[in-house]
Amino acid sequence: MEALNRFFAKSNSAQVAKQRLQTLLAYDRLEIPPGVLALIKDDIVAAISRRVSVDCEHVNVNLLHEQNSSKLVVDIPLIANRGARAVRSAGRSNAR
Amino acid sequence: MSNMLPSILNGHAMNEHTPLEAQVITVTSGKGGVGKTTLTANVGIALAQLGRKVVVVDSDIGLRNLDLVMGLEHRIVYDIVDYVEGRCRLRQALIRDKRVAELFLLPAAQTRDKTAVNPQQMIQVCDELRKEFEFILIDSPAGIEQGFQNALAPADLVLVVINPEVSSVRDADRVIGLAESQGKTQIYLVINRVVPARVKRQEMLSVEDIKEVLSTEIIGIVPEDDAILSASNRGMPVVCNGKGPAALAYRDIARRLSGEHVPLEIPQALGWWQRLFGKAS
Ligand SMILES: Nc1ncnc2c1ncn2[C@@H]1O[C@H](COP(=O)(O)OP(=O)(O)OP(=O)(O)O)[C@@H](O)[C@H]1O
Ligand SMILES: [Mg+2]
Repeated sequence: MEALNRFFAKSNSAQVAKQRLQTLLAYDRLEIPPGVLALIKDDIVAAISRRVSVDCEHVNVNLLHEQNSSKLVVDIPLIANRGARAVRSAGRSNAR
Repeated sequence: MSNMLPSILNGHAMNEHTPLEAQVITVTSGKGGVGKTTLTANVGIALAQLGRKVVVVDSDIGLRNLDLVMGLEHRIVYDIVDYVEGRCRLRQALIRDKRVAELFLLPAAQTRDKTAVNPQQMIQVCDELRKEFEFILIDSPAGIEQGFQNALAPADLVLVVINPEVSSVRDADRVIGLAESQGKTQIYLVINRVVPARVKRQEMLSVEDIKEVLSTEIIGIVPEDDAILSASNRGMPVVCNGKGPAALAYRDIARRLSGEHVPLEIPQALGWWQRLFGKAS
């Protein structure tokens, strides 16, 4: 029955609403506009790039919200220098 | 003082005729048009039907409409601003609703604006009303400006009315935050205009979803009910004589507020066979 209901639900928009709300309220409660996350991402990339090579395309900064706390979860893939040199000399671009 | 009241959701055994310590209950929402005025009128009447002494206060100065929903508009002479500015005594501004034993309306002014009363004056008005009544229900205007601050200031208990949609829940979160920052600890949600069939089809946020997202207790669930519109057309709120799902829901809320333990469920409209043969069949 549950499965049937789900099948006929156009897109389970209630679930979408709930997820949007959880994100929205996390920002509201921290009193930061959602666009600030993109700026934070740039700041982090700039800071870390001073020390190591960062794979900028694949950096991920997310706001994770639990019942009463929020945290930033940051995923920063790095480019190994040796690999990078190898890439340059081989003229390929997909190695990390 | 209000901190010492037991959580109303636990229900505390209470003789119907023991007078209760006066409670100021503010009905608010943030977002407009979600059903605050309808709820204030219906729960006010339902509390009076339970034998409580009740006054409903319209704090939407400049846009009064609690009187219209209750069908008392033709009896207004003085209003809350007249009292605050010393043009009448409080008794003269109170309009008695003759449909129930102990129910009064304190109307808002229609021709003034929100700044005609300030939060301190609102607390003083409520302190006067506490001497006479067990329940003082304040219908707050939409928004979070002065009208809302006026309604919030004297509250012992805050009812936040929500419709199951993203913008309404978001505004409720803001209002809950503001109420908490004013030291309010008794804050409860009323989810209004729920359509159980749409929740079942997962097209509408469920009561559980909303409770989880806002981490706030729910004190009532009011279904979408066509009877509400014709009731406000007539100025005869559904609890006056209705048996539909919204009327049942408002009565349940009133019983919970007066200390009875009533399990939380979504009142359903009775089918024609149930109306004929009773609820059990
Ligand atoms: N449970 C319900 N079922 C159907 N219609 C409803 C229900 N509750 C409220 N309504 C309708 O929603 C509309 C808005 O209700 P109401 O005036 O009580 O909202 P409000 O929150 O007081 O609005 P405002 O913010 O403008 O003061 C009215 O037309 C009313 O009839
Ligand atoms: Mg209203």
